[in-house]
Amino acid sequence: MSGRQTIAEYVLEPGTGKAIELLKGQILRIEQVEGGQCADFNAFNLHDYKEFMHCGRTRTVHGFHPTTGTFMWSAPPRERAMLYILKDTVGRNDVLFPRCSAYVYEAAYGFAVHTNCHDIQAEAQREYGLTPDDVHDSFNLFMCTGVDADGHAFMTRQTTKPGDHVDLLALMDVLAVPNVCGADVMKTSNFALKPLKLTVFAATDADLAQVPKTPTLASQRSPKDFRNAAIKSDRPLRRDPAYKPEFPNTPIVVTELAVALDAEEVAMFNAVKRSDIYGDDDAAALRDLLFSWWEERFLQAHAGAPAIEST
Amino acid sequence: MTDTLVTLKLNQQQLELMDRTIAQGVAPDRVSLVRLALREYAAARKAEAGKEPAR
Repeated sequence: MSGRQTIAEYVLEPGTGKAIELLKGQILRIEQVEGGQCADFNAFNLHDYKEFMHCGRTRTVHGFHPTTGTFMWSAPPRERAMLYILKDTVGRNDVLFPRCSAYVYEAAYGFAVHTNCHDIQAEAQREYGLTPDDVHDSFNLFMCTGVDADGHAFMTRQTTKPGDHVDLLALMDVLAVPNVCGADVMKTSNFALKPLKLTVFAATDADLAQVPKTPTLASQRSPKDFRNAAIKSDRPLRRDPAYKPEFPNTPIVVTELAVALDAEEVAMFNAVKRSDIYGDDDAAALRDLLFSWWEERFLQAHAGAPAIEST
Repeated sequence: MTDTLVTLKLNQQQLELMDRTIAQGVAPDRVSLVRLALREYAAARKAEAGKEPAR
């Protein structure tokens, strides 16, 4: 898009990654140089690394292949939109597969040392004091994946060309960490490691106007809301003798509700009740029907995903 | 004909959701809400079945 100010440019050489301070309102473009290269991606709240992008939440909200018009969400209990995919010229990203790791290349291919996304991420994140344990599940840009009929995830070759790119708009200050995927003996990047170009832009007003409004909910909690807000600083786990459980909404109390069904209603019920699951337990089948109906009539977005409010 | 009594077991969270739905004016009370759900759910399934192509 014209009118954007370029703030920084980098080339990620094969086998490398780069941690970039991407401030709210800035755009990170991850771009194919030769084509056919997967990029793994991590993102942390720049001011609190314990808030980080969560692939599980992201795929629940946007499916297995998030693309233009979707968000990268942080993990519960924060669950905030961290980045917005402003543009994606390919439309094939992945949040199913984990990052590749040294274990994979040793176990499956016999390599003592091999480029791998976990270790590349860890090395890039080390510049900001993070440890290998802090690398999180990666958002895999340009990675062509799917699920087969038996329910197994698979990956295949990609068709990206030079210049194809994804533009990520920061909705908060983040440490954005892309890396060139280290897989050269898999289909992920068409059996070769190639460079990627990174460009940081300042978003224009037109860019910012494209972002849908997201809900602000009381359940999006931060350390000020935690019973234990201190980050644990040693490794062993020890029981807190003062601990008293405070699970929400407990104890769960069950109340009975008697519902009289007339003959017509009984006929309706018998026609639709899930006897295959509940057998003769009509009470359980009617409860299922009640909340299934509620979901159909009132749920705004599938799988409990937060509805994206229109701007 | 006598009515058939079905006794649902609902926890406080499920009842809260029902009560918030009732507060929106969807039904006057919990029992009415269940009966409305049954009628609408059954009607939706019947409509779906009507759309299925003949075999």
